[in-house]
Amino acid sequence: MNPIKKIFDLLEHDFSESGNFAKLAPLFDATKTFFFLPSPKTRLGPFIRDHLDLKRYMSVVLLSLMPVLFFGMYNTGFQSGLARGESLDFWSAFLSGAWVVMPIIIVSYAVGFFWEILFAAIRRHPISEGFLVTGMLFPLTLPPTIPLWQVALGISFGVVIGKEIFGGTGRNILNPALTARAFVFFSYPVTMSGNIWVAGADAVDGITGATALAVTADGGTSLTATLADQGFSLPHLFFGLVPGSIGETSALCCLIGAAILILTRIANFRIILGGIAGLILTALLAWLLPGTYGTWADAGPLFHLCAGGFLFGITFMATDPVSAPGTNPGRWIFGFLIGFLTVVLRVANPAFAEGVMLAILFMNVFAPLLDHLIMKQRISKRIPNV
Amino acid sequence: MEKITPSKGFKLKLAGMPDTSIIRLPRPATVGVSALDIPHIRPKLLVKEKEAVKTGTPLFHDKRDPDIRYVSPGTGTVKQIRFGPRRSLIEVVIALDSMDDFVEFDPVSPAGLGSLSDQDLIDRLKQGGVWQTLRQLPARDTADSSTAPPLIIVCLNGNDLFSPHPGRVLQDRVKQFEFGLAILRRFSDRIIVAARKSSMNRLGPVSERITHQVADIYPAWDPGAILYHIKTKAEENQAWYIHAEGLIRMARFLETGRYPVETMVTVTKGHDKKPHMITRLGSPVHLLAGNFPAGSMITTGQLNGRKVDPDTHLGFFETTLNILPDAPEDEMFGFLRPGLNKPTVSKTFLSCLVNREVQLDGTLHGEERACINCGYCETICPVDLMPSFIMKALHGDDIEEALQLGLLDCCRCGLCSFTCPSKIELTQILSLGMDTHHKDKQG
Ligand code: SF4
Ligand code: SF4
Repeated sequence: MNPIKKIFDLLEHDFSESGNFAKLAPLFDATKTFFFLPSPKTRLGPFIRDHLDLKRYMSVVLLSLMPVLFFGMYNTGFQSGLARGESLDFWSAFLSGAWVVMPIIIVSYAVGFFWEILFAAIRRHPISEGFLVTGMLFPLTLPPTIPLWQVALGISFGVVIGKEIFGGTGRNILNPALTARAFVFFSYPVTMSGNIWVAGADAVDGITGATALAVTADGGTSLTATLADQGFSLPHLFFGLVPGSIGETSALCCLIGAAILILTRIANFRIILGGIAGLILTALLAWLLPGTYGTWADAGPLFHLCAGGFLFGITFMATDPVSAPGTNPGRWIFGFLIGFLTVVLRVANPAFAEGVMLAILFMNVFAPLLDHLIMKQRISKRIPNV
Repeated sequence: MEKITPSKGFKLKLAGMPDTSIIRLPRPATVGVSALDIPHIRPKLLVKEKEAVKTGTPLFHDKRDPDIRYVSPGTGTVKQIRFGPRRSLIEVVIALDSMDDFVEFDPVSPAGLGSLSDQDLIDRLKQGGVWQTLRQLPARDTADSSTAPPLIIVCLNGNDLFSPHPGRVLQDRVKQFEFGLAILRRFSDRIIVAARKSSMNRLGPVSERITHQVADIYPAWDPGAILYHIKTKAEENQAWYIHAEGLIRMARFLETGRYPVETMVTVTKGHDKKPHMITRLGSPVHLLAGNFPAGSMITTGQLNGRKVDPDTHLGFFETTLNILPDAPEDEMFGFLRPGLNKPTVSKTFLSCLVNREVQLDGTLHGEERACINCGYCETICPVDLMPSFIMKALHGDDIEEALQLGLLDCCRCGLCSFTCPSKIELTQILSLGMDTHHKDKQG
């Protein structure tokens, strides 16, 4: 027998109903099933079942996050090198970035899992795999300079208030990772927006770098020219070698992630395409408005698409099925309105540099209503049974 | 002939299509009449252990309508009456004598059918133990003879993907098939005869009678799924249906005045191609199944049947057995593997890129979790339901909402449970909801 399996079999008893660590049974189960995919016999029909389960489902989401994660590590190192005036080769940039990013991820997972296990033990249910994704998504939305205690506080808020208060996975209205991010954003605005600190390899260097969305043009030049001046030319924004949150800077990597999610049908393409369409149309309209010279209204669709966290948000946050609508027309509308609101928020209120976060949270709240309306209409099309 | 081509349903290619050759099995030592495959029945026993019975002697009836009786498919003595928990009837087992002695009725020829009044015809079919082959949607209860059905659907294909080929079932039975249709016309002017596209060959003269050809996507040939696609108004929900075997059984009973005891069964086991088998109604499962590896699961429909114990007997309505292998050992890091050998209707394993016949085992491939609203169940539901929403309505005890969402259109095909990544027993939950509703309505 597999030696690891033996260890689990040996420990099984201690974590059973009568064992010493009965309360920790969910932790034991989660660890065990992480190593060994369980496949109990079907008790009820249908007797054959698909091989897809939540572990696989969430693994695919994690896979789709790998490009933004690795690029984020590299970029963090690269930016800090840039800030110190060094130009690092690929590996030293990557490693120094990883050195900064990994602790953030580890804290997010460790603290989040602590809450998950606690609630699983109290509620006596298994730990949901959904947290594998939440625990990774949250750090990717943070600037690399974030203090670790804020990471811990944020993920605690996201898991406890964003999810468990509603009754746990599947019942939460808001996306937990985004809730965590919003909490940190509003509680510690200095670390989160405007001028962010660029992380150094060993210490925080104290050189500020503004994110693209914080840029406004001084009279005379156009916004896009100002952006380009400050290093935010369109190609830079597209490839992502700019300062910003760990996972959000590269439009390209987000698009690769979106492609993985759409090809595997894990994310609903309607949300992503609807979102992009909403953003582009609204940005076009804003661009056509007179008298906006030099503001984000004048940026045009491509800058709106590539700057900030829109692509990250629409790809990885908005597509979280639990907090998105469950009907197809609802998904289109949901996505479209997120795109629309993102631009509106960016244009109308430059203080909230990142509109997409609020746009998604706002639409999360309306997702059940959208579903309700669509279902009403669907019911009216069915031939009634009774 | 109309074509029904639903866009949703089960699109994996499963291994196990039986061979179309036919063998005749030896006479079994025992036969049984099971109560487990009869929807909604409240059985009342009419015989005791050790009692002698003829072929056609009623063994139990339905308390809700004592005229609906289930009769012995053989002559011999009642060997055993098996009960399950809370003394619910499992089956009545008959030890067979070497010769059949029939309960005799006056034969009715196709020409003589006209001289029988409607009531006489119904009474005769009920006495003979064949009326209940006619079922009524949406609850799939025994057809209510006091009402006139808006239409009757004749389903040539059985419940499972690998149920007997109708061309084989109807082989040499064309006369009886016509007679059966004549009987049905006494109850309704609108008779639908539906067959799978892949069954259209080998149907011979019967193919002239087909009114609807349905695509080969499970469960398109299910009566509920067919009705969903052809109905235009609410009254049609009460349609009756009958399977080819039942129709033949009805016709042969009238024609000979004796309970017809022969039936055709298919058995599927992985990549084995077993022939169609002619055997006696209620044959022992182990006789049909033959040898199978320990740990296998035997079902009467891998997606919509029931699990059977090899020591019991095949039910009145059942015509197929699927032998599903046991799962291999728990796999280390199973969820991280590319999964060339993990069949799925999703696109999350590499297996979705290869188009070959696959074999699934009888395990869940995961553990139950909360619904994540992923929508897989809706994507596959052949009758356009949103099973997760209906489940939530039922959990909130809001049967009205569940009904509005179309609960009663559910044809219990099992696909939503099949596909759910959270391994939620959706089909079970919806079935319970429908059954409770049906029971409440009957009072
Ligand atoms: S397939 Fe399962 S998890 Fe997905 S929406 Fe349906 S019930 Fe929920
Ligand atoms: S709800 Fe489920 S069982 Fe019912 S028809 Fe739809 S997929 Fe089949």
